[in-house]
Amino acid sequence: MTVRWLCGLLLFSGAFQLSAAPVTFNTALPVSKGEGVVRVQAKYLSASDDPGSMNRELTVKALPVVGVWGITSRWTLFGIAPLLDKTMALDMPSGRTKRRVNGLGDVTAMVRYTAYSQDQPGRTVRIAPFTGIEMPTGKDDEQDTLGRLPGSLQPGSGAWNPLIGVVTTAQSLQQEWGLSTSYKLNNEANNFERGDEARLDLSYHRRIRVGGPADGLPHFLYAGVESNWVWRGKNQNNGLKDSDSGGATLYLAPTLQYITRRTVAEIALQRPVVQNLNGNALKQDFILTLSLRVNY
Amino acid sequence: MGVNKLILLTTITLLWNASLLAAGTQYNLRVDGLSCPFCAYGIEKKLIRTEGVESVAFDLEKGLVIVKVEEGVALTEGQLKQLVDDAGFTLRSVSEQPL
Repeated sequence: MTVRWLCGLLLFSGAFQLSAAPVTFNTALPVSKGEGVVRVQAKYLSASDDPGSMNRELTVKALPVVGVWGITSRWTLFGIAPLLDKTMALDMPSGRTKRRVNGLGDVTAMVRYTAYSQDQPGRTVRIAPFTGIEMPTGKDDEQDTLGRLPGSLQPGSGAWNPLIGVVTTAQSLQQEWGLSTSYKLNNEANNFERGDEARLDLSYHRRIRVGGPADGLPHFLYAGVESNWVWRGKNQNNGLKDSDSGGATLYLAPTLQYITRRTVAEIALQRPVVQNLNGNALKQDFILTLSLRVNY
Repeated sequence: MGVNKLILLTTITLLWNASLLAAGTQYNLRVDGLSCPFCAYGIEKKLIRTEGVESVAFDLEKGLVIVKVEEGVALTEGQLKQLVDDAGFTLRSVSEQPL
């Protein structure tokens, strides 16, 4: 099963971004010292392409709330608290069955350091490594009428899972490039260990419209395209590798962003264009992301 | 009576002119790295909280931040550099002119 991986992807993707930045992954753009940004996302994931015989259909609704704080102009602290609602429908000997769970998922804390910056009039290039840890704040022993939910459907993993990565952002007033790579080491809890995750993300955004007040900061509308290559190792149950889990997926996503001095509203629709998954792992249909960021 | 009115009118005129003349200073900051309005707001927040700052305006295309301060308030280049650094950007130059 790939459910937990899909949920992890849903939460990790785009959760750390700040300014006029990619929708589906991180950015290296700055947060002012002593200032904060709050971000609320609404994500909807659908996965219904089941190569197996159970006709599985997974929907995940997620509401990650992200708090960002500038410790200094180079060090930035992130906290991500996700609310989750997962539903898995599948055929069982007793008929079509739905298994559902909701609640707080695993909270992630992360720091980012801007190691390189090159500023010019109206443009900047920044490189920022980041590291963090996903903490076992979500319940990992939820049950329904059929008994304890499988590890892959639990809101939390029960494990401490570190991550590390580096992001590069090149932005001018007219366009922006983003490139990020990261690795997440998933650990075992309750005899279940999901596969590690590696990502390579690329984005290009172009300003297509300028508006707003004549005497203040303008409003920008950006259109963009983002790609995400995500690899995941196989899950392990009781130390045995699950041959129906893990693999690699390449997503493409058109995006729109409307940026003002205090807010960013954005939307992205990720579609998997390549899914090389192992065994009977459940394949995805799409991930829809709506997001609002507020500079307070 | 006529003299009193004249004195009152003269006083009001002098005070009015004095208020116009005492309009403070404008600082023009060349800031590198400003590439979107959401980023620029980080600088605005820093500056507007500084005592004596009346307004902050931007020309993003030129990388220009225009800061107007009250009469009697002076901002040093070091102070402005620190504010811009804290916001995560690079101060290239500062010029000032009376308002």
